[in-house]
Parts: sequence; C-alpha cells; structure tokens
Amino acid sequence: MEKDKTKLRKLIGGDKLILIAAIVVVFALFTTLNKNFLSTTNLVNILVAASLVGLVAIGHTYLIIAGQNDLSPGSLAAFSGVLAALLVSKGVNFFAALVITIIAGALVGILNALMVNKIHLEAFIATLVTQSVIRGFAYIICGGKPIAISNKTFITIGKLRMAGIPFSVWIMLAAIAISGFILAKTKFGRSIYAIGGNRDAARLAGLNPERIVITSFVMMGIMCAIGGTIFAARMNSGQPAANVNLEFDAITAVILGGVSFTGGVGSMGGTILGVILIQAFNTGLTMVNVPSFWQYVAKGLLLLFALSSDFLRKKNREKKLLEASKKNG
Amino acid sequence: MENTVEFRNITKYFPGVKALDHVSFFARSGEVLAFLGENGAGKSTLLKTLNGDYQPDEGEYLINGKAAHFQNPHEAIEAGISVIYQERQILMELSVAENIYLGRMPVNKLGVINTRKANEMAAAIIRDFGLPIHPTEKVKDLSIAYQQMVEIMKAYSRENLKVICFDEPTASLSDSEIDSLFKVIRKLKSEGKIIIYVSHRMQEIREITDKVAIFKDGCYVDTVVTGEVSEAELIKMMVGRDIGDIYDALDRSKEIGEVLLEVKHISSNYVDDVSFTLHKGEVLGFSGLVGAGRTETMRAIIGADKMISGEVYLEGKKIVSHSPHDAMQNGIVLVPEDRKTQGILGNLSVADNINIALLDQHSDKLGILRKSEEVRDAAKGIEDFRIKTPSPDKKIMELSGGNQQKCVVARWMGTDPKVLILDEPTKGIDVGAKSEFYHMICEFAKKGLGVILISSELPEVIGLSDRIIVMRSRKISGEVMRKDATEPKLLALGMMDSDLIEEKED
Repeated sequence: MEKDKTKLRKLIGGDKLILIAAIVVVFALFTTLNKNFLSTTNLVNILVAASLVGLVAIGHTYLIIAGQNDLSPGSLAAFSGVLAALLVSKGVNFFAALVITIIAGALVGILNALMVNKIHLEAFIATLVTQSVIRGFAYIICGGKPIAISNKTFITIGKLRMAGIPFSVWIMLAAIAISGFILAKTKFGRSIYAIGGNRDAARLAGLNPERIVITSFVMMGIMCAIGGTIFAARMNSGQPAANVNLEFDAITAVILGGVSFTGGVGSMGGTILGVILIQAFNTGLTMVNVPSFWQYVAKGLLLLFALSSDFLRKKNREKKLLEASKKNG
Repeated sequence: MENTVEFRNITKYFPGVKALDHVSFFARSGEVLAFLGENGAGKSTLLKTLNGDYQPDEGEYLINGKAAHFQNPHEAIEAGISVIYQERQILMELSVAENIYLGRMPVNKLGVINTRKANEMAAAIIRDFGLPIHPTEKVKDLSIAYQQMVEIMKAYSRENLKVICFDEPTASLSDSEIDSLFKVIRKLKSEGKIIIYVSHRMQEIREITDKVAIFKDGCYVDTVVTGEVSEAELIKMMVGRDIGDIYDALDRSKEIGEVLLEVKHISSNYVDDVSFTLHKGEVLGFSGLVGAGRTETMRAIIGADKMISGEVYLEGKKIVSHSPHDAMQNGIVLVPEDRKTQGILGNLSVADNINIALLDQHSDKLGILRKSEEVRDAAKGIEDFRIKTPSPDKKIMELSGGNQQKCVVARWMGTDPKVLILDEPTKGIDVGAKSEFYHMICEFAKKGLGVILISSELPEVIGLSDRIIVMRSRKISGEVMRKDATEPKLLALGMMDSDLIEEKED
C-alpha cells in the first residue's frame, strides 16, 4: 500500500497535489455554473480539444526540460494540415502524404535546432523566426485558401471512434505513454535532464548536447505534423490560419504540470494533468459564455499562475537543498 | 564577575543526520576557548544552538548555572550572547553609533532619538577599544576589519554581555588587522567575558586561545589546554586518525611502467605547443599559476576545446578526441576544476550522477536503460569511494563538497579509464576528505592508471607527484622530478618573466 503510494507519487511527479486540487476546483466551478460541463459529451469534447495541445505539450516537455523552448508549433501544425490536405488533393495516397508531412515537420525541427546549436540563438528567439516563416509557407502553398479534404481515409481519421473515444484522443494517449516512457526510462530521456540542468557539465560528462537538442526539436516537429494533420482531418480541411497561439496553451500546460522554465526538472505525468487543466479551463470559459476577448485575459492570468507556481516550487527546492546542505556543511 | 556556560547532552538532528550528538562541556570567564573540527563536525550548529537560531532536540544549556531556552537570536542577544559571523550583520548606510545602538538608540521623553547622546556613548566605547574611527562615520566607508569591530562594539555595548562567539573572524583580515582583533579579544577576556573562537588556523589558535575544544562528527571529543598538545596531535583528535605526515603515509610502492600517453605539440586557442609524456602508474603533477594554461591543455586533450594542431598518442596509437565523449571512449577522462558548474549535474540524484557516463553501457539497442545495472553500479560507486549519502536517490546537491567530488570520480572510474585527469580535485574540501583523495590517487596509480594532477597547492602537487610539469603563460616552462621538487623551484618556474609579459602585451 505504502509502496503503491510512492509509485503513484513518482508517476505524477511528487508535488502535484496543488495541480490536482486546481483541476478539481476548475471542474467544480464550471459544473456549478453549467451542469452540462460534466456530461460525457463535454468531457469527450475536452479530450478531443486537448489532443492537439497534448501532442505539442509532449514536445514542450522535452524541450523545456532540456533548457530549450519552441514558439513555432502553431504555425507548423497549420502548415502540416495544409500540406497533408494539399498532397491528398493532388492524388497522393493519404499515408504517403502523412509520411511526407512528418518529414517536413522533422525538417523544421532540425532548422530550429540548427539555429540554436550553430548560431547560438536563444530557442525563444530562434523559433520566433520559424513561427513567422512557416506560417507564411502555410499560406503560400495553398494560395491563402483553405483546402477541403475529400479523401475518404483522411476524413475517416477525423471521425473514427474506438470504444466511443475519438481516434485523435487515442493518438494523444499513445504518444503520451510512449514519450513518458522514453523520458523516464531511456538514455535519451536521462540525457535531456542532464543537459537541461547543466549543459557544460553534461558535455564534459560525455554527453552530446547538440545531438540531444536536435532530437528534441525533431520530436516536436513530428508531434506538430501528426497533430496538425489530425486537426485538419477533424475540420475536413487544411486551414492556413488555424492553430494560432497553440504553443501558448501547450507551454502553459507544461509549466502548470511542473516542468521548470529554467530546465532540468519535470515529468510527463505532470504534463498530462496540465493539459487536462488548461483544456477544461478553456472549454469551461466558452461554455459559461465568457466573451472571447476576456478569455485572452483569463488565459494570460492562468499562465501567470503557472509561472508563479514554478517560481514557488523552485524556491521550495532551494529551501530543501539548503536544509540538506546545512546538515552536511 | 564570573560567567559560565554549560552544555548538557545537547543533541540536534537534521533530516537523516545527527548534527550534534550528546555534546556536554563547560566554559568559564576569562578564557578564550577554540572550537576545532572539520567542516560538518558540528561547531556552527553548536553556536547556532547557543544563540537561539536552532532549538536542540535533546539536552540543555545553562548560562551562569541557569537553564536558558532562547527561541531566536534576538532573545539570546538580549541575554548577553552574541555571535560575530564571517558575513557582516550590520547596516552599511547607517553610522557607527547608529549600528552600535541599533534598536535601542537613546531617546528623550517624546521618543525622539538623541543622536548626540548616542554618538557620545559610542565615542566612549571606541576610545575604550582604541580605534581611529568616528561615531558619525558611515559603516560602508570603513574597512572590513573596522566593520567587524563595529559589530564587536555593538555586542560589547550591552551591559550584560556574557558570551561572545567568533565564527572564523580572520577570514578576510590582514595580519595587522588580526593583531588589533586579538587586542580586543584580550580586553574582553580580561573583563570576564567568555570567548568562543571558531577557526581552522592553527597559528591563531595557538596565539589567542587558552583552551581548545575538539569536535568530530557531531561529538565533543575533548578539551585541551592550548600549547600542551602538539598540532599533529590536535589534528589527529579532530579527524580521528594521524594525518600529521599525510604525504609520507601514502602508499607509493608502485612501479612506473611504459609510456602511456604522449602529447605532441598541441595548441588550442588557449595554449601553445605543449608536449609531454605520461607513464603507466605515474602521477604527473601540473603546477603553475591559475590561467597558465594547465586546465586548457587538458581541455584540448579531451576535446572540450578545439585542438588547432598537435597529436595525442595513447599506448603508441594515435587517437583523436573531438569531444569529451570521444576522449572517454579512448580512455581519457577529466574530473573538472569547478565541481559546481562543470562537475556535478545538480538537478540529478547521486546515482544518476555516477551513472551518467555509463548510459551507453547501461542501455540496450533501443536506448532503454537497465535499471538493475544502474542500481548495481551506483551502489558500487558509493561503496568503493565511500560516498556518504543517505540514499543513492538523494539529490547530489544535498551532499557535502567532498562527497560530491567523490561522485564525479566514481563516475569516471566506472568507465575504466587509462588516463585520469584531476583538475584541482581537493579545492574546497576539508582535511579528512583530502587525505582520502590522496590515498585514492595513489591507489589509482598503483593499479597502472596514468594520473594527471593539476593543483595550485604546492605541498599537494609535490607530495603526490612522481614528476611535475610547470606551465607559464600558455606554455610548459619546466619539468621537475619528485626528488628535486621544492616550493621555491616550482614557484620560480611558474612565475612570469619579463620578456614573456611583453610578449603577451603584443
């Protein structure tokens, strides 16, 4: 029993009680305001809406733990949706189109990583470049007009349900499980923590920070490509103007989930909770008819809350360390 | 007036550690009592217990025969117990008098501060102490030594001052400043105060203290009269073993074998044309001033900095290391100079820090780590290098400096290297851990490793090395065998000479 508890704690990353409490509060609040909030349909809707943010948040979990960041996912997801729809409309087989889209996403990841590794740009600024450039290409390749999807397989991807749960949700769950395993149990995962904590020391310890950074950005690129394609399938069209501010939600979710903005700390378990929280929050705001202008304000405040709790957690860690070193020093 | 302080069975726990273990002893007026012990022996914890910063878990302390329970330092100060810390506890923007009477400035009936009176009172104390400072001077304009004096006067200005503790008071003082501090301490002593003096400097302890209380691992060992016990004896009591002749005690019965590493004419952005050889079983010292290029030479060899030209041969075969990872695979590893920023991975556990260089060995083709092997090798490292940690899963930052450094050594020894480079391995580590490192270094050499030891401590580099290379402004300036090595010789080789200085300015 005791052991189960510690296991559970490890899985969700120890100090997640506040986060779980916040989720409960958000659910309780919106249910009081609109009792449909807890309906099955709505819960499924929340999960569906969370699926794209979830995929991107996986990428952000890797990148932010590694001491990086990425502001381009919104653009890349939109670009990917448009690209897949365009290829299919030209008669390319859906799966071939998907593979090409994924390769394109990976290339954008490599581009981001090169800017960080080779011209030593801060990831925040480097990916601002791709955010704009890739959004531009999303419009350029389709001439600015959304591309409708008529391919049957493609449409099915958007409509398919397994055990009553839409396919996109299953994809997100699978991706979270796999990427969580990679983060916790593999050499690559351990390396991410190491370079995020202290890049110089990690390099001197025999790790290759540049390669780890490239891999992380490539993973993000792939997540955006898959997420963007599925999003297009759900919308029945590739839309160049879609997914603006996607990275904003994903970063908020990841920080809420306990990944430290300064790198080296966090877990995939926390990210899941963060994604659930932010998507419940967003859906709730719409359901209780908060005007969309005010939703921006609310989202900003939620990010502030996330960053503040990150700050407090950091203080707490420092305090613990101080206590511990006091006893040794 | 006779004052006494008595500790009875004081015990203090911190998570996982007994910081003080039934400490009992007695101190009386007119004595300067030294606290002597390694880092972590419990000296500071005891001071903080006496001044109310910590509450003891067991036991009690008596001031003048009466049990005292200070809840915080303020209560202790009110009761006449003051601690002078290394870091100044004064307000820089205030005047000397304002600092001395902080919180108890003389006031008139309306509660208005009477600055003139405060200055007069402060002037009297300053005269008493014989100091050339003025009550109205701002403290920030004083030297560090006088700032410390202001703190002492602040404690002294309390009529009821009984105990005054100094925690490494001379750390940033010059010789003449130390003299005037000692004058003041003698004055306090003659006035019947109890003086507790924490310091690592034997010479000072000999000069100013009457008795020495020795602490080891949270336990009180004994109190001896200063001068009656030799320095070597004191150190033995403090570390629990004889390290008086620490270098002579090392087991150096080993054979120096064939050439292991040959470095030929290497240059980087930081060093020029460096060549040397290292043999199996040899400890090769690198001496020289900080910035002479010792660290940078090693960084070029392991591929941390780019090697512009030159060649490295290991066991006769040419090797190329573009990165520390390559060097590790070639069998050359470096324990870096700055433990905190280059050695440890502060966000990871002890086990992860030890295993970080073994990720390849511990994982399968898919990169999945084999937990059991990680657990096994972490346990082995902790045992082999006697790393003191409550658990392998503890964050490495929670360990003491010496134990953190052992983790880094364990990390590299786990990769089974041929050449081990140690860059200032004992910097900031206490005496006991230092001697452990020395034994380790000798053991590594005995096993046939080639060890390169960079050290700025001359006795260390002379005591451990079979041969010493001296560097001076990016180049090797000389080589000395162990039997010829003296401190002046190494210093002479390490100092810049005039034409080199000119060259640098070009």
